[in-house]
Amino acid sequence: MTIVGKSKRSPTFRRNRWMLSAILAVIWLYTALPLFYVLVSATKSNNDLFTTFGLWFSDDFRLFENIGQVFSYQDGIFSRWLLNTIVYATVAGIGAALFSTMAGYALAKYDFRGKRLIFAIILGAVMIPQTALVVPLFLLMSKVGMVNTPWAVILPSLVYPPGVFLMRVYADDAIPNELIDAGRVDGAGEFHIFSALTLRLLMPGFATVLILSFVATWNNYFLPLVVLSSAEYFPVTVGLAQWYATATVGSGGGAALFTLVLAGALISIVPVIIAFIVMQRFWQGGLGAGGVKA
Amino acid sequence: MAVIELRNIRKSFGAIDIIGGLDLHIEDGEFVVFVGPSGSGKSTLLRLVAGLEEATSGQILIDGEDVTELGPADRSLSMVFQSYALYPHKTVRANMAFGLEVARTPKAEIERRVQAAAASLRLEPYLNRKPKELSGGQRQRVAIGRAIVRDPVAFLFDEPLSNLDAALRAEMRIEIAKLHQRLSATMIYVTHDQVEAMTLADKIVVLKDGEIQQIGSPIDLYEKPTNLFVAQFLGSPKMNVFDAEAAAGGLRIAGSGHLDLASVPADVAKLGVRPENIGITAAGQGNLDGKVDVVERLGSDTYAYVALADGALVTARMAGNVRLAVGETVSLQFDRNEVHLFDGAGKAIAL
Amino acid sequence: MAALKSRTRRYRVSKRLAPYLFLAPFALLFIAFLIAPMVYAFTLAIYKTTVVGGTRFVGAENFVRALSDPKFWQGVTVLLQFALIQIPGMVAVALLIALILDSGTVYAKSFFRVSLFLPYAVPAVIATLIWGYLYGPAFGPFTQLANLLGLPPPNFLTPGMMLPSIANIANWEYTGYQMIIYYAALQAIPADLEEAASMDGASSLIYALKVKLPLIVPMVVVTIIFSIIGSLQLFSEPYLLHNLSPTVINNAYTPNYYAYTLAFTNQQYNYSAAVSFVLGGVTAVISYAFMLIVNRGGRT
Repeated sequence: MTIVGKSKRSPTFRRNRWMLSAILAVIWLYTALPLFYVLVSATKSNNDLFTTFGLWFSDDFRLFENIGQVFSYQDGIFSRWLLNTIVYATVAGIGAALFSTMAGYALAKYDFRGKRLIFAIILGAVMIPQTALVVPLFLLMSKVGMVNTPWAVILPSLVYPPGVFLMRVYADDAIPNELIDAGRVDGAGEFHIFSALTLRLLMPGFATVLILSFVATWNNYFLPLVVLSSAEYFPVTVGLAQWYATATVGSGGGAALFTLVLAGALISIVPVIIAFIVMQRFWQGGLGAGGVKA
Repeated sequence: MAVIELRNIRKSFGAIDIIGGLDLHIEDGEFVVFVGPSGSGKSTLLRLVAGLEEATSGQILIDGEDVTELGPADRSLSMVFQSYALYPHKTVRANMAFGLEVARTPKAEIERRVQAAAASLRLEPYLNRKPKELSGGQRQRVAIGRAIVRDPVAFLFDEPLSNLDAALRAEMRIEIAKLHQRLSATMIYVTHDQVEAMTLADKIVVLKDGEIQQIGSPIDLYEKPTNLFVAQFLGSPKMNVFDAEAAAGGLRIAGSGHLDLASVPADVAKLGVRPENIGITAAGQGNLDGKVDVVERLGSDTYAYVALADGALVTARMAGNVRLAVGETVSLQFDRNEVHLFDGAGKAIAL
Repeated sequence: MAALKSRTRRYRVSKRLAPYLFLAPFALLFIAFLIAPMVYAFTLAIYKTTVVGGTRFVGAENFVRALSDPKFWQGVTVLLQFALIQIPGMVAVALLIALILDSGTVYAKSFFRVSLFLPYAVPAVIATLIWGYLYGPAFGPFTQLANLLGLPPPNFLTPGMMLPSIANIANWEYTGYQMIIYYAALQAIPADLEEAASMDGASSLIYALKVKLPLIVPMVVVTIIFSIIGSLQLFSEPYLLHNLSPTVINNAYTPNYYAYTLAFTNQQYNYSAAVSFVLGGVTAVISYAFMLIVNRGGRT
């Protein structure tokens, strides 16, 4: 569709394009500022942090040394943290996506007793902020001796109510009832229909929930902070925050931590950013379904 | 109202021509129908007139003024969309008033025009409803009302009846015909349905692959098609087409049949006969023999589908209820005055 | 016919049982990690444990205490101020970006769409510490710039500036996320509406304001409600900035922080649970009130 006047040739279009792109560029600068700052700071020595301008590089390019320091500090606990985060986020992400997909599929395509009630409860749960549950969860888990283990972080993260909501809407939209009926007539069992026929249609939604729960788990701070006490199980969020607190409060020894914290921050955000960019095809389709229904 | 003219209009995407170098003249107050199969370019042509598509080259003139570079808003045209394109969040009244509000028309005038349009389309009871509360036919009328209130120089219709069921389609067809009578406005109407084309048009433009096949009044196109495509596109059931070659005293048809003709053109390749010009007689007594395959009785007419030796079906239409048995060998009798001859390239040969 | 009957006897999950089985994994985890803690929190809240008296049932006492606790309400006030500062700005900017991207009139549309969403990928903790450094009087670039220009260094962490500074962090993080949601909603609007509006004489701007925006208002309201719920749960940012600015941020700065302090610093688990519950209640009331206001406004 190239409405006359909106084509690339007309002067008003070109003027508008410049103006609007400029607005976005300004917003983009604001968005990029902290990320750029982290990148720049991670390349500096501790001294340079204080003496050189915050938003530009110093002559002393120390990125790789800093990164090396990050991984070697405290007997290399950071690599452990990074590994933990990857494991927690991946397991929780895939698990949450799978369970949400199955639940959403059931709610969208089946009629059964209690369906409305169940959906209302899940919807209500979306409204409950996770933070309210963390402390009671901690107390419950300590009663069964589950605290301070990876499961303490992974298992609660497998519950992602917004994912169920999203997948229900998506399954409603993306899967024609006739497809399921055709499968039944062909003699396939319910689960076989799900895995062989409908799952591939649900993939964009699945990928969306996967990314959203992956990011939610990766970024989670409060839950691991409360349920974990040994540094070896920390995710990077908790670990880095600890370094940050030490750096800020501490004096002589603490000062050296600044570059460490900043370099560590850089390392911990790079994987997720890359994942985002690579997976962008998927989450756009999934979010769209929700948009239509609203 | 307006005279619309298209001069050498071309619309291409890269190397592909959707519309190739087309000329068209539409008189003031004419009801012109663009008709053709999918992909013929008819909608594109309409949208070029509307300004919703930009021409790659050529000119569009409305009342002598070159509007090629103007946007849709500046061309004073109104369009009725296939999907109605009503604003879902606005009431019927607000939908119709929107264009006038954008043009800063005084409130009293807007109210007057909306009332008048609503009255003429019997929409008054629905003025305060939202589109989702209306039926398909009602939404269609709102779309038409929205077009009317702006008092455009011409109306454009893009397959407006495609989304309606058969009964409603017939009703709305009459509605549109009456609208044209009432307003005497220039109207351009796009459809793939040849019944709509035949019944509504003052002038039909038949399009295929972005090129005009023929322009003329419905009856002209029906009785004197200039090529095979137009001949088979208009008329339901389709015209029957047979291989034909010159033979002694006339034509040899489909290998085994014969038709006497006074003069036979040298380049003849096909013979076309419409179903209503074919009668059924006893075997051996007509122009072409075959076996009755299927008989459809509609009460008012009888359609006989006669299979030839090679399996091809010929459709014959007869009035009333004709007695025919499936499997019966019969002969097809062609009305010699109503046959059409075509050359190897599909062009009509004048008789 | 006999052959048909035998087919249905094959091992197959019945259609009636299937939905429950599909729901089972999620439901079990849901009950274990969402319902159970809630129930447990409630039981905690109706008891009281003291060194002297042991654990005894006190009914609504903890709830009443929370409702009359000035520290709690102070926290709520802080949150309401925070929400008022943060949400409108974020929604407005997100809408602006979404509309600009949807209009298709910019360069590098994909690039902007992805890069403006990236802050969502950054953990709140890390965003806070980065901004903490940016704000920092020690080596923050704003301070450096001010020194260069001979101006007094801006202090982002004074009592007056603290909330806007935190709001800025939240905006930086979530504007992109809101933008993506609004963008998806805008993309769902059928294209021929724009053509019809164009025929009606509307420019892109008028079409955006009078047709696109009204059509996504329901979605915007939903995101605002979720934002309200989210801002009432504020914890990470103040918790982390506490060390940077201990005078401005006390350990009861927000109700969640207060609950955390009660539980882990003061070991007052019962009262902490009650505070969490009351916060939940306040959140529900405010969200519901907001919904009512919006719906009534829509009706006029």
